[in-house]
Amino acid sequence: MARKMLIDGELGQTIEEEKQYDFDLFVIGAGSGGVRASRTSASFGAKVAICELPFHPISSEVIGGIGGTCVIRGCVPKKILVYGAQFRGEFEDCRNFGWELSDQVDFNWKKLLHNKTQEITRLNGIYKRLLSNAGVTMFEGEGKLIDAHLVEVTQADGTTKQYSAKHILIATGSRAQRVNIPGKELAITSDEALSLDELPKRAVILGGGYIAVEFASIWRGLGAEVDLFYRKELPLRGFDDEMRAVVAKNLEGRGIRLHPGTNLSELRNGEDGIRVLTDHGDEITADVVLFATGRLPNTKRLNLQAVGVEVDKTGAIKVDEYSRTTVPNIWAVGDVTNRMNLTPVALMEGTCFSKTVFGGQPTKPDYISIPCAVFCIPPLSVVGLSEQQALEQAKSDILVYTSSFNPMKNTISGRQEKTVMKLIVDSETDKVLGASMCGPDAPEIMQGLAVALKCGATKAQFDSTVGIHPSAAEEFVTMRSITRRVTAGAKP
Amino acid sequence: MAAAPSLRAPPLTLASTAAALRTFSRTLVLQPQKPLFTSSRALRSPPLPPFPSNLPRRRLATRASADGGNGAPDPRQFDFDLFTIGAGSGGVRASRFAATYGAKVAICELPFSTISSESAGGVGGTCVLRGCVPKKLLVYSSKYSHEFEESRGFGWTYEADPMHDWSTLIANKNAELQRLTGIYKNILQNSGVTLIEGRGKIVDPHTVDVDGKHYTARHILISVGGRPNLPDIPGIEHAIDSDAALDLPSKPEKIAIVGGGYIALEFAGIFNGLKSEVHVFIRQKKVLRGFDEEIRNFVSEQMSLRGIEFHTEETPQAILKSSDGLLSLRTNKETVDGFSHIMFATGRRPNTKNLGLEDVGVELAKNGAILVDEYSQTSVDSIWAVGDATDRLNLTPVALMEGGAFAKTVFGKEPTVPDYRAVPSAVFSQPPIGQLGLTEEQAIQEYGDVDIYTANFRPLKATLSGLPDRVFMKLIVCASTNKVLGVHMCGEDSPEIIQGIAIAVKAGLTKADFDSTVGIHPTSAEELVTMRSPTRKIRKDPSPAMIIGKNSDRVDYLLEALKVVFFLFHERVLFYPCSANELSCSCKVCIQMELLLKSFMV
Repeated sequence: MARKMLIDGELGQTIEEEKQYDFDLFVIGAGSGGVRASRTSASFGAKVAICELPFHPISSEVIGGIGGTCVIRGCVPKKILVYGAQFRGEFEDCRNFGWELSDQVDFNWKKLLHNKTQEITRLNGIYKRLLSNAGVTMFEGEGKLIDAHLVEVTQADGTTKQYSAKHILIATGSRAQRVNIPGKELAITSDEALSLDELPKRAVILGGGYIAVEFASIWRGLGAEVDLFYRKELPLRGFDDEMRAVVAKNLEGRGIRLHPGTNLSELRNGEDGIRVLTDHGDEITADVVLFATGRLPNTKRLNLQAVGVEVDKTGAIKVDEYSRTTVPNIWAVGDVTNRMNLTPVALMEGTCFSKTVFGGQPTKPDYISIPCAVFCIPPLSVVGLSEQQALEQAKSDILVYTSSFNPMKNTISGRQEKTVMKLIVDSETDKVLGASMCGPDAPEIMQGLAVALKCGATKAQFDSTVGIHPSAAEEFVTMRSITRRVTAGAKP
Repeated sequence: MAAAPSLRAPPLTLASTAAALRTFSRTLVLQPQKPLFTSSRALRSPPLPPFPSNLPRRRLATRASADGGNGAPDPRQFDFDLFTIGAGSGGVRASRFAATYGAKVAICELPFSTISSESAGGVGGTCVLRGCVPKKLLVYSSKYSHEFEESRGFGWTYEADPMHDWSTLIANKNAELQRLTGIYKNILQNSGVTLIEGRGKIVDPHTVDVDGKHYTARHILISVGGRPNLPDIPGIEHAIDSDAALDLPSKPEKIAIVGGGYIALEFAGIFNGLKSEVHVFIRQKKVLRGFDEEIRNFVSEQMSLRGIEFHTEETPQAILKSSDGLLSLRTNKETVDGFSHIMFATGRRPNTKNLGLEDVGVELAKNGAILVDEYSQTSVDSIWAVGDATDRLNLTPVALMEGGAFAKTVFGKEPTVPDYRAVPSAVFSQPPIGQLGLTEEQAIQEYGDVDIYTANFRPLKATLSGLPDRVFMKLIVCASTNKVLGVHMCGEDSPEIIQGIAIAVKAGLTKADFDSTVGIHPTSAEELVTMRSPTRKIRKDPSPAMIIGKNSDRVDYLLEALKVVFFLFHERVLFYPCSANELSCSCKVCIQMELLLKSFMV
């Protein structure tokens, strides 16, 4: 191994690394970040192994599956269920377009679940094939650190094997967390929610984050009564306040009961379901209670402390901007580092890691203008700064452009639901600092805007772009008049 | 001004032959000594002028500002500063903007009707009453049948198959059109524009006649739009055009659509979705002349999969009506019987007849389009024209742009030229198309060395629905500057996806900007920012150095060779990689290709 790492302060250490290892890189965890890093490293010529727990839709300490959260318990199955749930709105909307449906359109949860499981099993297979085609050695079992260059893999039958590696990458992701209230064992997390045997008729969801609002939309769309509880006044903390209010209004408009400023205090087994007690003293009964109250990094059983890898209070692995942990040859990417927990970010971190360590090209992930989407119905998608963030960071005044309009489809369907768009512009530089949209197709629309923001587009360039007519997206290039000008330093 | 050049882009003659030959030419990248490469280049279409460069260029900039709304040298008193003939997208925009600059504006328009004629039109124009809007409403309605099919894979079942009631749709659509024409009238009124109902005709460079009454104006703007144009063949009186197709009293049982342009494809999708039997007759081998070749192939393949029957290289010769009232279409190849409707979507003509234009000296092109310079000024100084009447780029947002630029130039003291670069557009076929910038063929003509990135994948929704829907995307990148020259997409949500990309292209982005953008997961659009390796590199002069160059290049060329093999055996173009994220395709061919390639990668 003559390969050198081109990291500052590393060049003098090559002599010590003449030692022989089983692998150049051993990756623990074959989710988005781990698979990407393995494949890219292998393409740079590294000898790579990866370990992952056996496949199962519901994760635990001992089961997981190649593909990781995104493919098995996150983005993909979630989006599939959202697709399934969206049809209810279509059935409502289609009537004024001339369609006559029987009063009852039936929904078969088991069929959707079966098809979903089939699809993620297929994807799991594709991921395995990707790894083997890239020449990555796969081990099934739980990985754990023995020392800075040694990984122990415990197989399903309990036998263990040890492998040495020059570099170790930890990409073990995260898992849903339960809140500590009496009766918490009666609740489920998003893992189970994606694989329930029966579709709930009455669902209670605790949490105001994106997972909570997505499941609220899914269950409501599939026909359940949904009650959504969260501590703040509005769901989706961290997003633009105006857009949060839009999402809340739309959720209500689609028949979800919102309980802002409310926590759950206790869950009890009742005769016809789970009795849910709130901190306001109310009680409701539900078939399913979902805790969507955050996720924690999967770092407990990795033996990190023993080898000197530091974690923060939440258990997230501390890394530098190249994804290197406090042990120089151990690295970590993805949710386990709790930076920005998104699949495409894990992919970016994985690629940057490979370039840095095996590509001779030190590369830092760039966290500026990362777009993201919340697949509630209708969805929210944003890129760049919210109005609040812009005000905190801006040196000059902020120009806010908003557009709230009735999408063309609703003019016939009669659905009372506005699409809302927002642009945040720096008054000094004319640069578009942030864009958000809540309405049909928002995530698909926002991707292109993300490219524009990434290349530093100005409002003038937005304005000079000709619209595509008739589309919703054309509104983004026809926002001519300023909705308001906010003076820097003024707190809204 | 000398002979008026045609304002249309020259036809892409031999384009398909050239495309096929280009496929072969890729072999030559491996064996550059053979001369075939040159011959294929010779067969390519003639260079396309940058659109619409052949407008007459004249003295304008200075004069336009000189006789603007204020401080004009002409001492005459006029009834209005601006009189606009035609209240469609361009006319309404120009009038409103002119009014906001302080001009006294009048606009005339024919009475409202869903079907246009010499005596009927309506405020809102083609876009609102007979084009974009009603078309899209019908597209929405027709898409449901596909959604019902999709829903089955997601667990939904129907006691009885959903039925469609045509009259409900048309009634609701017309109610919406009435509402919109009202809104447009209000918009005009609120901006202080005088609306006059009737047919406007130019009497002299400063006078318009509306149904016998004369109005004088410092400037006259002609924005009368275009109308469908039907060929003169026997039985054409039995055919309908797109105006009528948007407002039929009943649903066609079996319809023939003649034409391969976007209007034909959109209506084919509409009627197919609403369960009519649809036959499309096109004169050429392929639909959508002028679009990117791969898009042309892809969209017709997807539409065929949804049940539309294409009759290619057929020219209609006559329509025959039988005693049972059904229609037959006779072409140069066959006669197809049993149509309840035959629709012609064979192009549109500017509405410039009987406007008095020739008499005052406004020059027209052969097809009737008003000739204008880059500021939209006609050959008569006080007369201007925007929108489809000038047959530049016939799109609503372009008419809006031209109308806005006209008002700025004439009344805003700010001479403004509409910018036709990177104008995005959409075809609301099913699946729809979104595109902007150059096609591969145009890019090769203009730049020679280009890198082509493509993705052809099965979207997540289709994996559950089990339907054969796919998405195709293509980026065309200049090899020397890394600038993105064109973006083309066909598949669900394409128009919405392309809009944002258009902003980025307008801002002059490079492929590197695309690559550095993080995806939104899981979407279709994220594929556009994750296309890492070019599908093919097109070089004017493939040098031997390139061939034995880097590993990745060797793999590229090998890939090209494999594609040629595939093309020869299957007579179909192989798209590879099937998808940028490689997850969406697991067909045998792709697996084999991947394994083969793998063995060559060291």
